[in-house]
Amino acid sequence: MASLPKRIIKETEKLVSDPVPGITAEPHDDNLRYFQVTIEGPEQSPYEDGIFELELYLPDDYPMEAPKVRFLTKIYHPNIDRLGRICLDVLKTNWSPALQIRTVLLSIQALLASPNPNDPLANDVAEDWIKNEVGAKAKAREWTKLYAKKKPE
Amino acid sequence: MKVKINEVHSVFAWTWQIPSISDEKVTNDKLNDNDENEDVCGICRASYNGTCPSCKFPGDQCPLVIGVCHHNFHDHCIYRWLDTPTSKGLCPMCRQRFQLQKGLAINDAHIQKFVEIVSRRREEMIEEGVAEDFVDFDEPIRQNTDNAIDRSQVDTVLDEDFLLR
Repeated sequence: MASLPKRIIKETEKLVSDPVPGITAEPHDDNLRYFQVTIEGPEQSPYEDGIFELELYLPDDYPMEAPKVRFLTKIYHPNIDRLGRICLDVLKTNWSPALQIRTVLLSIQALLASPNPNDPLANDVAEDWIKNEVGAKAKAREWTKLYAKKKPE
Repeated sequence: MKVKINEVHSVFAWTWQIPSISDEKVTNDKLNDNDENEDVCGICRASYNGTCPSCKFPGDQCPLVIGVCHHNFHDHCIYRWLDTPTSKGLCPMCRQRFQLQKGLAINDAHIQKFVEIVSRRREEMIEEGVAEDFVDFDEPIRQNTDNAIDRSQVDTVLDEDFLLR
């Protein structure tokens, strides 16, 4: 494997020395392009008090290509499907090499705070969200209790 | 007292001279400000005076280019980005159409290839029918050539601005 670009080393160091509140990202020992990520559910969202696990992979072409990110924890959200795939513009068409691991994870945290059922990935969830927002949010809260790790007091 | 000089070791350093936004000559303060956001390429995050990740030797072999939008990158980094369809021909920092400032010696050799690649991206977007967002596509360039910096200013050697990194 080619050596790790300086930019990735810098980003990794910064994530450790100056972590984003509510977010952790640690590279795998045997593959420094593969990160284990946790994101705390934003307060006053159905995901609050839950800690969600994700995996993040930096493709060979990074930063020309966006990181690949996927939820490992099951989550009830209109823009996240059953396989944990995330529908987020900056991960696809609006990627820019000026973005970084840190900003991508912040965007995902923001997506948890404001789901967008009008641009759905999980169609059934989005439909539920539009028809019955209160019920959908209750279900999201329930799933958070069931599947996400509990945030320590 | 008499001093006999046996040997002289001359030391020099170079730096790309980047016109500041206000069109004033780059000051020492600015050059010495080692703020990582100020003087690193927005794509690879290596120093302007360093190299892109694929080069070993800084300088003419790994040039720096100056955008009309005042965002600067290693030529190799920004060209590789614009070569991807995802780029849509836009600056990674401000998402305006990326073009080089005209009238700068540092940019001269590279202007044409950036014009070509950005118009290729634009053609792709027209084919896909997504170019409507860019009605004023040709505007930024015309506006900005007016305040392009006088070339003589950029050609000057940085005698008094020598700095060691």
